Amino acid sequence: MRFNKQIIGLTLGIFVLILPHFLPLAELSPAGRITLGIFLMAGVFWILEPIPIFATSMVVILLQVFFLSDKGLLAEALSNGSVEYMPQSYKDFYGTLASPIIILFLGGFSLAAAAVKYGIDRSLTRILLQPFGSKPQNVCLGLMVSTAVLSAFMSNTATTAMMITVVLPIIAQLDTTDPFKKVVALSIPVGANIGGIATPIGTPPNAIALAALREQGIEIAFSSWMMLAVPLVVVMLFIAWRLLLFLFPPATASFEVKLDGKLDKSPAAIGACIIFGITVLLWVTEKIHGISSTIIAFLPIASLPALQVLDKKDIRGFSWEVLWLVAGGISLGLSLEHTGLANWIIRLVNWESLGGFGLLVVFGLVGFAVANLVSHTVSATILVPLAVGLGVSSIAGESFDMQSSIITIGIIVSFSMILPISTPPNAIAMSTGMIESKDMAKTGIVIGIFGFIFTLIFSLFFWPVILG
Amino acid sequence: MKKIYILCVDDEPEVLEAVERDIAELEDDFPLETAESADDARTVIDQIYAVGDRLGLILCDHVMPGDTGVELLIEMFNDERTHDTRRVLLTGQAGLEATVQAVNAGQLNHYIAKPWTPDNLRQVARDQLTEYVIQTETDPRPYMQQLNMQKLAEVVYKRGLISDE
Repeated sequence: MRFNKQIIGLTLGIFVLILPHFLPLAELSPAGRITLGIFLMAGVFWILEPIPIFATSMVVILLQVFFLSDKGLLAEALSNGSVEYMPQSYKDFYGTLASPIIILFLGGFSLAAAAVKYGIDRSLTRILLQPFGSKPQNVCLGLMVSTAVLSAFMSNTATTAMMITVVLPIIAQLDTTDPFKKVVALSIPVGANIGGIATPIGTPPNAIALAALREQGIEIAFSSWMMLAVPLVVVMLFIAWRLLLFLFPPATASFEVKLDGKLDKSPAAIGACIIFGITVLLWVTEKIHGISSTIIAFLPIASLPALQVLDKKDIRGFSWEVLWLVAGGISLGLSLEHTGLANWIIRLVNWESLGGFGLLVVFGLVGFAVANLVSHTVSATILVPLAVGLGVSSIAGESFDMQSSIITIGIIVSFSMILPISTPPNAIAMSTGMIESKDMAKTGIVIGIFGFIFTLIFSLFFWPVILG
Repeated sequence: MKKIYILCVDDEPEVLEAVERDIAELEDDFPLETAESADDARTVIDQIYAVGDRLGLILCDHVMPGDTGVELLIEMFNDERTHDTRRVLLTGQAGLEATVQAVNAGQLNHYIAKPWTPDNLRQVARDQLTEYVIQTETDPRPYMQQLNMQKLAEVVYKRGLISDE
């Protein structure tokens, strides 16, 4: 069955790759057609996954340097043709892998690797959980808050995996029929998915949004993003907390939260903590000292290996494929805009009738729906360039706020958590067997609705104030 | 997904029945095959690998007509296919010398003395299968519910194989 799916995916992908060259697409340049083919193929590959999604991103860059760059096979044909298109430098496409946002993520990866290696994440969890005591309601909140705080700086998936190891002994104390098991098992993926929104490095869709904004010359400071996102995260965590307790009322009145393990006090662990602290401090104070977070990010990248806190093996252990995934997304966005394809797609629909608010709703709804079925990063990658196109072409009129729309897409996809396949944290939580798909669906739908509404409210009334 | 089998080898049918009864709850996920001699076991192993499945755990008696259990275990250890299979002696009659040989030449993973208690047998089977999954699977999540969840969750976390998408 898997074999069939693969064949169908590959065939369909290659078909849509060449399709635009045989259609009477008025006003679309040859370069635009090539890009449309790549865009459609990437979409098919990302959705049906005949090859891994990061591999698709690599193929996207491959096709771009071969067929759209100034050193590619068609460089002369494209630039000498009747249409005006200056092929982009191949370095632009390659450069996406070292773009500032990627480096920012790499900085996050370094910190996370050090945190995992020396158990800092676990120690932090113990500290964070302590004040929440032993009442089920509070423990649930404690779990969600600790998960969210950690996943704001580490990958959502790594945080979930770590927290699951923390809560299994807690769950083991509970009666097998106690619904509180579900609360505990759900609080973690929910906390991780929501927490990822809080900082630029929390989850890859944030990177897609930030990278697109940078392309437009809009730089959002680390602290500014947090000012936009943290209040939303707090509101949503509160809603999710009440929701879980409402859906699965705990039977037990109190229980013991015992977290074993001790603080690693080796010089390397202390070094890791210091670098972690300094980096995060410099990130959140970006506005004060004025050094970009993407510059600060190189501090942990270089200093952790230099201090031998991280070794060769640790560096190999980074999630490099995530960086490729994001780079492919950024790279695809470059061609969408540069070849005029984004503009062309946008002209297919009469947007004006929707108005700025209508557009925001459409982007939000589509982003939310798609992200439940495919990777969050991919959903953002597909939608963000369209929002950029709308903004740049000013076709949507004055009422369309490109900046807020891009951030809205980047954030709203993170609220997509209805299915086990919606996010890796969901998948991990499902494999514990404590929850059923329907429990996850109920929770995910309600969180999705509230997340959607609050993101729109923030986008309309709060973010413009912060961003000026 | 390639199935992971358990194989129990003993010349006494009553023992095979007892084992089958005691680890019945594992059978949904880890099908049990039985064999009454080493030769019989080799045939079963060939059949399992012929269709692309794997043998995760062998529970083996020592004194049997034909080749002994320890001989079979050593042979399996040296066979590329079954090198990772967890090897358990389930016996009352293996002398010191045979047991030492099983440990040294066959890297025996566990020794259960007859008579066993059902709880102990289940525990050993679970623990050994958990180790097998940790050693051979890149993503142990599908086995978390039946085996040692804490250990497997730890592996998912430490290996960091799944990343944000």
